[in-house]
Amino acid sequence: MRQMPWLTLLVFWPLLAAAAMPLLRRSLEGCRRFALAAVLVELAMAGLVVLLFAAGRPDLPVVEDAAWIPALGIRYTLSCDGLSLVFVVLTAGIGLCCMLASRRDDQARPALYHALILASLATVQGVFLATDLFLFALFWEAQLIPVFFLIGIFGHGERMRVAIKFFLFSAVGGLLMFLAVIALGLYAADLPDGPSFALYDLTRLSLPLATARWLFAAFVLSFAIKIPLVPVHMWLPDAHTEAPTAGSLILAGLLLKTGGYALIRFALPLFPEAAVAFAPVLTVLGLVGLFYASVVALAQEDVKRLIAYSSIGHMGLAVAAIVSGSRLALGGAVVMMVSHALTSGGLFAQAGMIGERLGSRRFAVLGGLWNKAPGFGAAFLYCILAAAALPGLSGFVGEAMMVFGLFRVDTVAGGFAVAGMAATLVYLLRLAKDTLFGPARCDLPFPDLDARETALLVILVLAIAWLGLFPGPVLRLTAGPLDAIAGQVWPALHAATGP
Amino acid sequence: MPADITDLFPHLALAIGGLVALSAAWLPGAAARKALPVVAAVFALLPGLWAIGAGADGSGMTRFFAALLSAITLAVTGLLARYADRRNFAGDALYGLLLWSALGMLLLAEATDWIMLLIGLELASLCLYALVASRVADGLGAEAALKYFLPGAVGLAVLAFGISLLYAGGGSLDITDSLAAGGPLVAAGLALALVGLGFKLSLAPVHLWTPDVYQGAPAPVAAFLSTGSKAAVAAALLHVCADASPEAMDVLAPALTVAAALTMAVGNIGALAQQNLKRLLAFSSIGQMGYIAMAALAVNDGGGEAALFYLVAYALMDLGAFGAVGALSGEGADRDAIASYRGLGYVYPWRAGALCACLLSLAGLPPTAGFIGKFLVFGAALRAGYTGLAVFGILMAVVGIFYALRVVATLYMREGIEAHPTVPGPAGWAAALALGGVSVGVVALGLCPGPLLAAIGKMVGG
Repeated sequence: MRQMPWLTLLVFWPLLAAAAMPLLRRSLEGCRRFALAAVLVELAMAGLVVLLFAAGRPDLPVVEDAAWIPALGIRYTLSCDGLSLVFVVLTAGIGLCCMLASRRDDQARPALYHALILASLATVQGVFLATDLFLFALFWEAQLIPVFFLIGIFGHGERMRVAIKFFLFSAVGGLLMFLAVIALGLYAADLPDGPSFALYDLTRLSLPLATARWLFAAFVLSFAIKIPLVPVHMWLPDAHTEAPTAGSLILAGLLLKTGGYALIRFALPLFPEAAVAFAPVLTVLGLVGLFYASVVALAQEDVKRLIAYSSIGHMGLAVAAIVSGSRLALGGAVVMMVSHALTSGGLFAQAGMIGERLGSRRFAVLGGLWNKAPGFGAAFLYCILAAAALPGLSGFVGEAMMVFGLFRVDTVAGGFAVAGMAATLVYLLRLAKDTLFGPARCDLPFPDLDARETALLVILVLAIAWLGLFPGPVLRLTAGPLDAIAGQVWPALHAATGP
Repeated sequence: MPADITDLFPHLALAIGGLVALSAAWLPGAAARKALPVVAAVFALLPGLWAIGAGADGSGMTRFFAALLSAITLAVTGLLARYADRRNFAGDALYGLLLWSALGMLLLAEATDWIMLLIGLELASLCLYALVASRVADGLGAEAALKYFLPGAVGLAVLAFGISLLYAGGGSLDITDSLAAGGPLVAAGLALALVGLGFKLSLAPVHLWTPDVYQGAPAPVAAFLSTGSKAAVAAALLHVCADASPEAMDVLAPALTVAAALTMAVGNIGALAQQNLKRLLAFSSIGQMGYIAMAALAVNDGGGEAALFYLVAYALMDLGAFGAVGALSGEGADRDAIASYRGLGYVYPWRAGALCACLLSLAGLPPTAGFIGKFLVFGAALRAGYTGLAVFGILMAVVGIFYALRVVATLYMREGIEAHPTVPGPAGWAAALALGGVSVGVVALGLCPGPLLAAIGKMVGG
């Protein structure tokens, strides 16, 4: 079983399924069933990889490696360690949620819709698994294309303008990072074993200080746009508002996470000195984002926009934790990212349900949903509380670890983080109050969850509870890789806390 | 002597092919119309076979360009076959001029001598002037040909004067020898030669003819113009840059740096405002030539290989883009207005898909040839120390993404085809084959560039 190229399959199976979708374009149900089956297979493969690699073989990573463009030292290298594994499983899970999320968006061109979702899952898996920098840059750029079409073809409102805005923002960062990757490759061209783009080789380069800082800036700009960090977040609220429900799930659940993941996996170990030097800037930006997002979220009139701003805040906190220099906060950031994918996934899915039922997601038409649809209300409140870090739910684990870690490194930053979390509570409670409680401001009927929606939310609710009550497996899986990265970026810290 | 004949095989094939095409005028009408594209395709194929075959012992560059130009000519023949036939300008002259133009390009690409370069350039250009105007009933085509011819003649004169100065200063017509001499006359001659070449390559600021000509030319001819002649002139530019003495490079480098930056800016920014797809593609091709010029600057730091790869990638994507425009066009005129492409992605999925793939490649997005091409070109520029130029180029590439996306978005994200009911006829199997082959090539070269890179590396190295 181990001999199968599981990682390659994880990346290319969804792409293969996407390529087969046009054959089913005549039948709406056929498309849905096939796409659902495809993501279930993907999820099963992810689970199998967990069993094969994580359970039976603690000495991750597992590597699949082949020569690709030998003249330039570019290799096709996928490697999976605990950190990748967590996100790989998350990707497959969010993929399942996407397939369950909507029965409205896919009516016009079901084959294209599902093919685009599958294709974006494939490229995101590629980002999480690639450890050759060229391959990573390729997947990084490629993941924009399916989402661009998904927003532009199946979105609402000014979808075309929003899709292009999303793409251009990401491409600016992506291409500058691309240039930085080329530059790194040039520095690695004279290695004894010939040119290389392997992450492992590149982390061992000794770059001139100024160069390293410029390259770090290019990498971080690209990741910051994706995360998104204030002030390069402008694409996100628009993209979320106009995207179809599945597009929002992919954006919030996966694309934002690729930014945080890449920051941990690539930016920190490649440029440790620059990472330490620029950490205060990133911390400030992240914490400013937390407050800024809270204030702006409070002023939103659209449920989906409010949730979009909450993403900016939560991810800002994650960035502050990632660069803080605390191993505890770093681990917390990973848990937080997984948790945020689940909670925001649930919230976006339910915002989509509101839109489908009422034709609008504005607060002006909401209110009193709890009485109309208690099942929906309970799930919505649950996701809100998880996002607000209620103890026992997934958000708490991550936020607690991050805050403790930040306090240990810097009391001021820790204090601001706590204050920022309090600020998020304000708009989350407003979200709950204005949608679920109070007088109903619209006479339209609001049917409760049907079987498909129940299945989707039960999956998310169980995952949130599981991560909140038993975060152990995730923490254990990510411990090794994160220790290694922390030991490389903050060697003194690592020596102090022990391996 | 026989060895010389085999060396000249590709040239002879193209020259004789042109003659055969012209003599096909004696055949009765219907038979000639059926036979002509086939004849042209066979003769266009021969140089490619020669280049790939083991028997050839020409230099690496000759073989490379023989193969590239052969492929381009073949694809253009395929794209032209049904297109020209349905629009009543398919004739012996069309295919004869096509083959002779390819001959001129081949001579230009392999020239090591200024006179040869001049003759090749002029043979290619003269045939192209006529090709642009080949659709006699179309006033726009005649106007475009005139707009191409008049500045082209000036460009030729400038180049000829530059060559005479180089000869006067260097005492030799051999490109390498004349550039080695140095001195003010050579510098002045080189500058003028650069202007002449830059004109044909559409480098800013002597690019102004390009959009008009591409707009007026029939789409497959525009495909030929933008790929074949660009590849050949780029080869000459690479040759000049590679052979320039350090002293000559002192003149060349600053001028070419400015020209490259300006060209990237003008091409990519100029494309933003276009409402006409052929003009947009023309501006895009100007921008692409800026990348080639950047690679030419770094020719001795891997830029040569990068430029050759980029030329192949560029040939594929521009053939595909213009070819798709031709295949999507009605018979009255080419489908020009970008607005008239609304929703076509769903009506003609294959032709529009080819256009989409080529546009994404022009924008440099993975997994296409354009992505790897940009990687190589920018890598060479960085290695040669042109960091500022590379950063500027990347920013311009982002602008390039915008206009490509605008067209892609029009194809797929706008409804409203009923406003532009022009129905394209069947593309014909030859055009379908050419378009399909080119699109597959764009993606295949993006996914596995290894073999081509290895071939180029071996050729440049050995």
